[in-house]
Amino acid sequence: MTSDPRDIDKKYNIFSETVPSFNIKRTAFSVSDDILVKGLQATAGSRILDGYYPVFDATVVSRMNAAGCSVIGKTNMSEFGMSAFSAAGVDTPKNPFDPERSCGGSCGGAACASAVLDGHIALGTSAGGSISVPAALCGVFGLTPTHGRVSRYGQIDSVSSMGPIGLFAMGSELLKKFLPVISGKDEKDLVTATQPELKIGKRKLRSVAVPKNVTDGVSDAVRKAFNDSLDVLKGMSIDIEYVDMSNLRYAMPAHYILSVTEAATNLAKYCGMRCGRQDGDLSLPFNDYFVSFRTKYLGREAKLRTAMGTYMTLGDNRRTFYLRALGVRQLVLNGYKDVLRTHDAVLTPTMPFIALKFTEIEKMNSMDSYMASRFTVPSVFCGLPSLSAPCGYSDGMPMGIQFVSDHWNEDVLLSAAELCERSFKIKVPEVSP
Amino acid sequence: MKIGLEIHVQLPTRSKMFCSCPATGASGPNEHICPGCMGMPGTRPSLNKEAVVIGIKLARLLNCTVPDVAWFSRKIYFYPDLCRHYQITQYETPIGNAGEYYLDKKRIGITRAHLEEDPGSMKKSGDGALIDYNRSVMPLVEIVTDPDISSPAEAREFLKALLNDIRHVVDLPDDGERSIRVDCNISMAGSERCEVKNVTGLKNVERALTFEAVRQTKVIKSGGKISRETRHYDEERKVTTAARKKAFEGDYAYIGEPDLGAINVKKIADTITTKESPLNMAIRLQKEYGIDEKIAKQIVNTSVSMAALFEHLARKISAKNALMWITGPISSGWKTLESQINEKRDGITDIVIQYEKDEINRTECSMRLKAFIFGEDPENMKKNSADLDALIKKAIDENPSVISDYKKSDKAANRIIGIVMKESGGSYSSSDVVEATKRILNGMI
Repeated sequence: MTSDPRDIDKKYNIFSETVPSFNIKRTAFSVSDDILVKGLQATAGSRILDGYYPVFDATVVSRMNAAGCSVIGKTNMSEFGMSAFSAAGVDTPKNPFDPERSCGGSCGGAACASAVLDGHIALGTSAGGSISVPAALCGVFGLTPTHGRVSRYGQIDSVSSMGPIGLFAMGSELLKKFLPVISGKDEKDLVTATQPELKIGKRKLRSVAVPKNVTDGVSDAVRKAFNDSLDVLKGMSIDIEYVDMSNLRYAMPAHYILSVTEAATNLAKYCGMRCGRQDGDLSLPFNDYFVSFRTKYLGREAKLRTAMGTYMTLGDNRRTFYLRALGVRQLVLNGYKDVLRTHDAVLTPTMPFIALKFTEIEKMNSMDSYMASRFTVPSVFCGLPSLSAPCGYSDGMPMGIQFVSDHWNEDVLLSAAELCERSFKIKVPEVSP
Repeated sequence: MKIGLEIHVQLPTRSKMFCSCPATGASGPNEHICPGCMGMPGTRPSLNKEAVVIGIKLARLLNCTVPDVAWFSRKIYFYPDLCRHYQITQYETPIGNAGEYYLDKKRIGITRAHLEEDPGSMKKSGDGALIDYNRSVMPLVEIVTDPDISSPAEAREFLKALLNDIRHVVDLPDDGERSIRVDCNISMAGSERCEVKNVTGLKNVERALTFEAVRQTKVIKSGGKISRETRHYDEERKVTTAARKKAFEGDYAYIGEPDLGAINVKKIADTITTKESPLNMAIRLQKEYGIDEKIAKQIVNTSVSMAALFEHLARKISAKNALMWITGPISSGWKTLESQINEKRDGITDIVIQYEKDEINRTECSMRLKAFIFGEDPENMKKNSADLDALIKKAIDENPSVISDYKKSDKAANRIIGIVMKESGGSYSSSDVVEATKRILNGMI
């Protein structure tokens, strides 16, 4: 490491918290603020958790430490990972290619860290594309493993049935090195119990499926970069087939329902009694106390999702929304499985546009903001692994291409990452502290 | 009047349900807690298999259907002692579904039995309240009955019988009664029901229900209406008081618990051999060995290990003879035998087999059994017995009319028994005298 990351941090707003000192001989890594490091404040981007100093390390942190790495800080993210633009969090990270623009989110700080710090590996979490989205907008590789591949013990949940911990890095080599480190069964997270062993061989990418009409509604620059990438892949004698995956369009509303219902339960615990802020008005009867405290300290999106999630599980709504969304998840997954039986991966752009300026984000409504992650949500929704790789630049801003493979087939994604690194010209942002 | 109960049984596991904190032995409040019991962000539940095993055993006891695959759900409500503000419980796939229980002849339907965690406990203190999380995440089975119970006294009877049965299946500690908490639902014909929450102890269940029955009847008689509500039982004043309007199931906003996934219950269930409840054992003995229902229950109620001894003997010799030895010398020596049954079982078996093979006669066999049970010298006993026989024969000779009287009613034997007891000055036990007198008289008629 050539310069102190804390100087770089000042320019990009990467970290919410850094360690006082670290061993520069060890590989530096960071974790998004919702992954616990013993003794470092963890807020998951929310004011309601101010002052939560966890008493234990997340399993991924212990495993990285055991592999000889050193954590240097917690990276900024949107509140409980609830926005694709890292704009609603405690502190907003700036894009490494243009500080006027957003990193995307929710793990914007993590993507930025991996772009601007030499040899840095950043851990982040995804509940709907929070790894792929900022990776694409910051021009780095973002790997989202299969749900259940990596222990989530020590991860502050917003959504529970999806949203694995994954990796950001400037090159494929670091992903290949650290995916095995953070993967594997963990008795503290039962969801990891059924995973088959992670095998990283020389499995080549041979055929990919592209959903028909996938570039409808994306920016001209993204369409051109995507089509150019397809030509490059064809040139590497990879079969490309356009397939009908119209079921994917149901993923967005169903994902929204499951993520808000799960968030409503996961956020219920925050009430200023056991962790985080402790300054509620204790003279109130407890129901009034809960309402006043949560109204005061949860952000707008967190409150909206709590209300929506509760509404969608009450009484008959439970059947209308929640149970139906579970069925839709199976439908979307079946669509993927059909295609992945004959193809190694499904290929789409990662984002429909390049990183937005902060002034543009302010004008976005929440529907547009949510639909921006329409390429990244469906795979995470089904627990499938994905990779976003940089594939081109427009006005100096990076764009990404996303590969989705079948459950547990991360090895295909790692070879796709190598392929992209060889085939596409990848730029490293210029950093002047 | 309709009464339905929700019975919370704390399970005797070594550690808690979703973490490895010890389940017992805390010397003070908040001693056995970890970040998981406190609902700290970043923790997630792991599953104590022992709790699932006990759940399956209880479900079988209640003749419930046990699902092949089960999952857990989150039940959401805000209360200070609930660490995550959702309780991990079972909603769609309870560990036991649609069972039944028989209180003598009366059938009480079991709606369901599900596994869930306990919240912490809260204690009022001055203006505020103190919360102890030792109990947080402790495993429970909640047994929900159909509204088949028709009186407070029957509710108590049912609980008593049920607890007795539960103790035979799982090793509940003897003071387990206090760790049983019951929510009592009671309604009068055509009226809404009220739920009295968290009543501990059988006596209190009966009292709370009786109070409610009287209160509700009074309200209805005076033209009032019972509204659906949760009530609290005040043990000191022995009254119930309104707590809050009862929430409906739909208000709990249940969703699946994604952190625990689907549990392969069948795989666990296949490895469990369940201890039988005494009631089920009596029914089975009756069917399998063709013995009288009353006698089967009598043996089982005397001692489950006596019933087990019967079953052991009935596999070696005829069931009829096994029953004869069990109700005869074994039963009369049971007080002595019970504590040494494991060491003496084979010896007893050998003796009765000799009779079965005609190697010894009935008297000899009876005597040997007695000698063996009491650890006495059979020769000495034989002599004593011969002396006793002589005394009895002498008494019969002196009262010959006894024989014809005995033919009409076996009560006539009492005359001889009285004489012998008096003459021997109590040197023989009454059961020996009774047995010998009847044997001799039977031989004479």
